[in-house]
Amino acid sequence: MIHMQPDAVISHFPHKRMEAWKWTDLRMSVSEEHMGLTRAVTPRLTLPDGVSCSPGNRHHGSSGVMPTLAAGFAPVCWNIRVPTGLNVQGPLRIDNLSGGHACMFIRVDKGASLDIEEYHQGPDRRFSNMDLQVHLAEGSRLRRVVVQNDPGNAVRVATACIAAEKHSILEQYMLSFGGALSRLETRLYSEGEGIEATMNGAYLLDGRRHTDMTGHVEIAGSHCTVRQSVKGVVTDKSRGVFQGKFHVKQAAQHTDARMRHDALMLSDTTEVRARPELEIYADDVACAHGNTIGALDENVLFYMRQRGIPQARSRSMLTEAFVAEAFDDLDDAASKQSLLTRVQEWLA
Amino acid sequence: MQAFPKLSEAWEFGINLGKHDETLQSKDEALMLKINNLSVVVNNGEATILSGFNLDVPAGEVHAIMGPNGAGKSTLSYVLTGRDGYDVTEGSVTYRDENLLDMEPEERAVAGLFLSFQYPLEIPGVPTLTFLRTALNAQLRARGQEELSAPDFMKRARSVAKELRIKPDMLKRPLNVGFSGGEKKRMEIFQMLLLEPAFIVMDETDSGLDIDALRVVADGVNALRSPERGMLIITHYQRLLDYIVPNKVHVLAGGKIAVSGDADFARTLEADGYDTYAA
Ligand SMILES: Nc1ncnc2c1ncn2[C@@H]1O[C@H](COP(=O)(O)OP(=O)(O)OP(=O)(O)O)[C@@H](O)[C@H]1O
Ligand SMILES: [Mg+2]
Repeated sequence: MIHMQPDAVISHFPHKRMEAWKWTDLRMSVSEEHMGLTRAVTPRLTLPDGVSCSPGNRHHGSSGVMPTLAAGFAPVCWNIRVPTGLNVQGPLRIDNLSGGHACMFIRVDKGASLDIEEYHQGPDRRFSNMDLQVHLAEGSRLRRVVVQNDPGNAVRVATACIAAEKHSILEQYMLSFGGALSRLETRLYSEGEGIEATMNGAYLLDGRRHTDMTGHVEIAGSHCTVRQSVKGVVTDKSRGVFQGKFHVKQAAQHTDARMRHDALMLSDTTEVRARPELEIYADDVACAHGNTIGALDENVLFYMRQRGIPQARSRSMLTEAFVAEAFDDLDDAASKQSLLTRVQEWLA
Repeated sequence: MQAFPKLSEAWEFGINLGKHDETLQSKDEALMLKINNLSVVVNNGEATILSGFNLDVPAGEVHAIMGPNGAGKSTLSYVLTGRDGYDVTEGSVTYRDENLLDMEPEERAVAGLFLSFQYPLEIPGVPTLTFLRTALNAQLRARGQEELSAPDFMKRARSVAKELRIKPDMLKRPLNVGFSGGEKKRMEIFQMLLLEPAFIVMDETDSGLDIDALRVVADGVNALRSPERGMLIITHYQRLLDYIVPNKVHVLAGGKIAVSGDADFARTLEADGYDTYAA
């Protein structure tokens, strides 16, 4: 446990002169009035049958300053474990992640399977910092569905570090409505062969909200498949940030990795920053990235209105269809519907 | 009216043509669309496309508009439907005694105006049936009529699709995305038959259709011919007019109707070309 005054904590925060945070200036966005800077928050976990949780120590990984701070302020790291071969029924629900630092470690043992639902939402003026570490053992599977929806004056950092052994599967779907600043970061370390990862997400922002979806994927084993598609919708004076990096190591032959970020600017006062990056050291791979930023097609809108669909409805239908693509592959109907309902509510 | 027997059964589902008729037969029964001395500019006034354009279409009539490429036929269709970028600098358009130019595109659709686009747009991510059900119900709601339930709509959509020989699979796909040129045109007619508009503008719907499709489409259009409906058919080819016999044929050239004639006039045109009239 560390003890520090709020201003001292803030002085440790990353800021825009650091490459990885250049569009998301955490230090500038937080003030001493934010509650939770120096305290821990206890996540509320709804454990499905067969999944255990106990307080323990954090596994040390080099995942950056924010996870390190989380570990420093949180007195315990919640260790969650799914035993070998267990196909867990029903989701592990995680909420109450607002107003402090939280530290969790999830281990999905060999051949086991787990669905997580994370809800990152809380009251006004909270600072929240979650450090989630995940270990996926051989042949295991994890689906992580993340919903983040904070008040416009709340600041949140959520970092997930996922180490994946061979033939494990990660399916991740994030939906973010931002806050004063929200940084949702995923770091995936594919350490074995034949890992399959989907890392999709969408952010929908209005007012002066800010969401940063950052992904970092390191691929060290052969025959891994990575699919990343992030959709952004921004209006008013909001700001969307996407940073994606695939680092394909020399041994990672036959990697098939694709990254996309597509953003829709619904007004011209918004800002979208995107940095898709590939760093490839293996020679027999199929890797691609794409990035588009655009507006709704006026011709398509006219066509819809000609058929009698009012303008506002035409816009929301097109926007919803654009966002929904990020969740196309989510094969849990209820979960998908719940994400789409949130999108529809935002659009209404 | 040409044979299209099964389709007429489909009309009995849900949509209340009776109510529709009341509004249709409003004050001026004779004239449905009246275009008077219309001038239209595009590109913020840089180019004048139509000027001194006059056209009257009475209810129950089908008028064909022919004319050289770039004459302004599509421009006319966009002005009628209210597309941005086509500015009226002079003249008026009256539709069933209302000032059409004052209305938003969706209001014109609700008033019964339908455009079969020369180049139909693709609607990514929106399944054809979802799109159409939304459109139909939006129109019904705006007219104060009862919306169609999902099963009733499906029944109707399937029945119309069958008549147009559209595979049910296609209706699940996002509208027009990846459809062939001919399929898109057929889909325009599908929408038209579902929405049952009061006034139809068809912009080169025949271009890109194979011979069989042309027949199917023409049958569909003919099934919609009625004393309450008006139609404006833009085409380059006599072929379509063999199936859908117009009451009048106009040549659009030099920004206005240069010459008009009866159904046979289209044949003369095809033999002689536009040069005589376009001067
Ligand atoms: N937005 C625009 N900006 C500039 N010029 C335009 C615009 N829209 C149309 N035009 C011009 O107006 C003229 C008429 O075009 P329009 O599409 O109406 O012709 P058309 O009669 O439909 O031709 P076609 O038979 O080839 O379909 C053309 O010269 C075209 O280039
Ligand atoms: Mg044209």
